Amino acid sequence: MAFLEMENVSVGFGPEGSRTEVLRDASLSVEENEFIAVVGFSGSGKSTLVSLLTGLLRPDSGVIKLKGKPVTKPGPHLGIVFQNYSLLPWLSVYGNIELAAKQVFPHYSKAQRKEHVERYIEMVSLTPARNKKPSELSGGMRQRVSLARTLSMQPEVLVMDEPLSALDALTRANLQDELVRIWEEDKRTVVMITNDVDEAVLLADRIVPLTMGPSATLASDFKVTLERPRDRTTLNTNPEFKKLRNEIIHFMTAMNKEAKMLRVDKGLAMPDIQPIDYSATKRSA
Amino acid sequence: MKFKILKALDVAGLQVFDPVVRLICGENPPEQVRKILLFIGVPIVTFIVFLGVWTYLAPRHTTKAGEVPTPGVVKSAADGIWTFHVRENQKATDFLLEGDAREAALTAVEARIAELEPLAAAAKVKLDELDAAAKAKIDAEAAPLQEQYKEMRKTSRDENKATKAALIAEADKLPVNDAAARDAFLAKVAAFDLKQEADKQAQKDFKAKIDAAYTTKFPEMEAVRSEYNGYEEELQYLSKRLDYLTGDNQSLKIAGESTELNELEATFLTAEGGKATFAAAEKVLKKQEAITRISDSEYSRPWTFPRQIARSVWCVFVGFFIGTAIAVPLGVVCGLSRVCMAALTPLIALFKPVSPIVWLPIVFIIVGGFISDPELAPVHPAFLSSAITVALCSLWPTLVNTALGVASVEKDHVNVARVLRLGFFSRLFKIVLPSALPLIFAGLRISLGVGWMVLIAAELLSSSEGIGKFVWDMFNNGSSQTFAQMFVVVFVVGAVGLLLDRIMIVLQRSVSFDGAPTAI
Repeated sequence: MAFLEMENVSVGFGPEGSRTEVLRDASLSVEENEFIAVVGFSGSGKSTLVSLLTGLLRPDSGVIKLKGKPVTKPGPHLGIVFQNYSLLPWLSVYGNIELAAKQVFPHYSKAQRKEHVERYIEMVSLTPARNKKPSELSGGMRQRVSLARTLSMQPEVLVMDEPLSALDALTRANLQDELVRIWEEDKRTVVMITNDVDEAVLLADRIVPLTMGPSATLASDFKVTLERPRDRTTLNTNPEFKKLRNEIIHFMTAMNKEAKMLRVDKGLAMPDIQPIDYSATKRSA
Repeated sequence: MKFKILKALDVAGLQVFDPVVRLICGENPPEQVRKILLFIGVPIVTFIVFLGVWTYLAPRHTTKAGEVPTPGVVKSAADGIWTFHVRENQKATDFLLEGDAREAALTAVEARIAELEPLAAAAKVKLDELDAAAKAKIDAEAAPLQEQYKEMRKTSRDENKATKAALIAEADKLPVNDAAARDAFLAKVAAFDLKQEADKQAQKDFKAKIDAAYTTKFPEMEAVRSEYNGYEEELQYLSKRLDYLTGDNQSLKIAGESTELNELEATFLTAEGGKATFAAAEKVLKKQEAITRISDSEYSRPWTFPRQIARSVWCVFVGFFIGTAIAVPLGVVCGLSRVCMAALTPLIALFKPVSPIVWLPIVFIIVGGFISDPELAPVHPAFLSSAITVALCSLWPTLVNTALGVASVEKDHVNVARVLRLGFFSRLFKIVLPSALPLIFAGLRISLGVGWMVLIAAELLSSSEGIGKFVWDMFNNGSSQTFAQMFVVVFVVGAVGLLLDRIMIVLQRSVSFDGAPTAI
């Protein structure tokens, strides 16, 4: 049996009658220490998927199991990295991580806790900014703090909700490398939600596309068989990478077209009105 | 260093002085000078214009209590208030002085009196001279006017008499039943009446002119008079000091009583016979009691204005703390529970607009019910009622802001708390309250401002010692200075309010984590 399993999960919002189903019959199974990337268009229910996987949201039907036990409420064993960091702005980098560490490892002595926190600050290379407040940090640094905070809880599963999508391209590339390094160093099960196919191919062992919402579901997966460590500089010329990327992109765009075709056109029919050019008449007058 | 100062100015909400610091550090002088002119120069010019308009307009409006005071008069009233305060403090110190310090003070006071007396005498002589001269001048001016007035009245009287006689004579000859002739006569009488009225009015106006001559002010004489008054006041004060340094001095009194006590004790020791011994013993005890009473006694200092300000500030803080102690917990409860919010919203909406003038009598009666004897109570009931009224009127902004802050904690932060499985209290103290703190402090700042405004009215009504009572006393005593003193109060209340607001801004800034800009 898989480590983390999602079986035929459906969830929707809104009142009875005008209910929008966000996910329908989505299934996913993740092996231990596997790095999974879920790619999808915006609005396809990615964040809902994160909430489901971490227990922040209960499914309407279906079940999510971690090591065979159903997930019913959130907890530190289901670590989550939020898209907008959600750091506590009144606490320093150290304070933010310490809050998590204190809660998850209450039996630690003061010295142990300090060492624990500092280890994770070091892991995301933020030791020099240890006493800074989040407002004094750049976006990339904030996301590192958020990552360190989640990792410091030593979760069994790490779910990342578009962790890098709010960052600029350079910082993003930098953090991708960092993510790989940290994952290699501190292996655990990772589910990363992303809208960037390149990123998914670079990082993941397996890529699962999310079909267009509403009533999205998880399509069949693409295995990434590229050798690790993957070098982003040579990857662009790697035929296997190109092939995989094109396949996924094709799949996604085809899905997009299909969804557009299916969508009923509710737009108003516009009257056929053309502007009249009066300039000529003016000149002749 | 520079950035530390700039940061401190920023936190204190004094960014106005930012360019001054930068200019001193030599950073882009033309730009800084431009900023200084804009942010410091323009307000100063405005203030000067304000003073100018005030100086121009004030003397043009005369009331029963005298002219509206000009800035100069207000300034001298403020000086007067301050001098009174300093002198009262000095008397209180004098009362307690003993030994060499008392001797030294005594010498100083005597020296000052010796110095002042000739000055006062000289001023008196000069004043009398000027007064006489002024009187002579006024008389000289007024005498011809008086003559003229008399003349005017006489002519008018004579004329009117003559006209009246002529009219009566004419009436004698009026034919009966000649309507036209009678109408013409009627018109003549009416004209006569009109003329009489006009004469009276002219006389009245003339009289006013004479009165104005009598009340002519001679600036030189006024100056000498105020100088003389100043000397006299100081001399009076010094003679009071003299009393407190000699006859009324506490240590001297105790010393005197102690010698008497020694004598009485000696008598008691040697007393023979039951009755005499008993009487001597009673006398000794009485004397001992008297000594204790004197050493416990204090100079009964009146409530000078600076002390009233201090008392008002203390009162507003007591009220503010009572209000905060109610508003913050209640606001947290409202913010956390939608049921409480729904339950309390109508009550909040109902009580929020109630004026302090309504609360105060109610509070006064209730507090009076608990404190039967104001003299024995640890706090004066009037003070307590004022403070509670301040609390009742000022707690609403804090309450509403706290509820809002607690209810609007970011969803992501709530999710963090859920992932960490924080308990109720750690969720409250580690997530909810810190994130609501900036809003709570914004509420507190409004509350303190409201409280300060309410307090003056409350003190005025409850006669609790403070700025409000000062205003009320001034309003009621109606001396020539009161009008100006009330203007002093306007500036004092404004300045203290400004200061309180600044303090709250600093507090607010120190708890806000998003670097929110502060309002002016």
